[in-house]
Amino acid sequence: MKNNIIILGGGQAGIYAAREIRQNDSKSSIKILGKENLLPYERPPLSKDFLLDKKNEEDLYFHSSDVLKDENIEFENVSISKVDFENKKLFAKNDHVYSYDSLLISTGSENKKLSLDNNLKNDIYYLRNLEEAKKIKEIVSNKNKITIIGGGFIGLEIASSLSQLQKKVIVIEIGNQLMGRIIPKQIADLVQNTHIEHGNEIILNKQIEKITKKNGDYEILLNDNSLIETDFIIAGIGSTPTVKLFENTNLKLDNGIVTNQFCETSIKDVYAAGDVSNFYHPFYKRNMRLESYQHAQNHGICAGKNIAGVKTEYTSIPWMWSDQFNLNLQLTGICDEYDEIIERGNDINNGVIYFFLKNNKIRGACGVGIIGKVGRDIRITSKLSEKNTIVDKQTLSDQNLKLNKLMQK
Amino acid sequence: MSEENWIEVGSTDSIEEEDLIRFDHQDKTFCVYKLTDGFYATDGICTHEAVHLEDGLVMDDEIECPMHQGIFNIKSGEALSPPACEDLKTYPVKVDNDKIFIKID
Repeated sequence: MKNNIIILGGGQAGIYAAREIRQNDSKSSIKILGKENLLPYERPPLSKDFLLDKKNEEDLYFHSSDVLKDENIEFENVSISKVDFENKKLFAKNDHVYSYDSLLISTGSENKKLSLDNNLKNDIYYLRNLEEAKKIKEIVSNKNKITIIGGGFIGLEIASSLSQLQKKVIVIEIGNQLMGRIIPKQIADLVQNTHIEHGNEIILNKQIEKITKKNGDYEILLNDNSLIETDFIIAGIGSTPTVKLFENTNLKLDNGIVTNQFCETSIKDVYAAGDVSNFYHPFYKRNMRLESYQHAQNHGICAGKNIAGVKTEYTSIPWMWSDQFNLNLQLTGICDEYDEIIERGNDINNGVIYFFLKNNKIRGACGVGIIGKVGRDIRITSKLSEKNTIVDKQTLSDQNLKLNKLMQK
Repeated sequence: MSEENWIEVGSTDSIEEEDLIRFDHQDKTFCVYKLTDGFYATDGICTHEAVHLEDGLVMDDEIECPMHQGIFNIKSGEALSPPACEDLKTYPVKVDNDKIFIKID
């Protein structure tokens, strides 16, 4: 049967869903509606290799327009202003109306903004898309002392890149550790040391009282009355799912679009995937919303299968990474449900991993090390966790013992 | 094919089973694997991003990149799982007197 499939959102989840649908369904029409006038591209390099000029715009695209053409996947740059789920229609700002039989929502997430006086709104920069990355790259070339508000992944990755561009960087974090939302303090402290060793200043436990513009530069007043002078400000203070379009509709929202393990929303024939989806994970038996590369990809693929009629549960074990300076940090599973923590290694040059165990099984792990040093062990950890393996703690804690010995054949 | 194309990598006991070693020759990096049925060789850098596969995970006939979890078939070089979509180049391997050789073109 030929269906009209629309994918709302031209990011990673959207493109992977589109290609997966095509793998399983050669007849239906597939159209991606993207808010940016760019084919789907990879965002992780924006804060790293793109700022450092190691990657150009053309390196970022997931697939060329030829691939989309070959697979008969349409991409349209359009902004949707209204959704009518009952009649299965999307209304564009340019008055165009799109009808669908199946709809995938992959609108992603957007940056939280600082609440500031109106006259400063255009002075604070955020980084999520290519346009913003280009702007930041251009402007920082003439700036020397840059302040980053927010010590999460994005802020720290930018801090690492700008430090490598010989800028003086200050990071202000409201919490008592960096990356506090998901990274254990032990790992965060190791990352913090590396930033400090490279000359970055890290300020924890401080709130911003006021930002004042002064002769083109800025003064940031903190809640301990200290004053920071800076000539450029970037904020990375978290993100929220992009769901404004669906408020006041029947679509069930709760920290994103609520979906089951098949990427199905509360409305028939409407699916959601990627950052925007608060999905049920059957392995953890709870809902979660993830913002990561691996999740956007795999969740998109899973949605694609389900839209094409291949009923598939989403069971991926969460995994994410961050690269800062010469460090690669990786996280797998969930690190907030545990009764025991086991440490492997104590030297960042060889990699340090913390395992979070519950009932002698790994629920999650977080590690950091010089690039390449933790990836394999973290990956084995995902597999051990997924298989519910009862693990030998001696092997976990002794870096001389290989973790793959714990894998059951 | 001349004999000179075969480059010595090391001894057969330098690799554990279901594992790999990195081998650098001139300005190129290779990975040499020991699988249950013999030795294999591929390019040493992932086709997705410039990351060394030596720190990746070997599982059965597959190598998984340590950075983004792209997966390749070691024997054919086929890219099996995104984000990897470009195949990995493979090289012939022979064992002579407990020494491993790969043929680099």
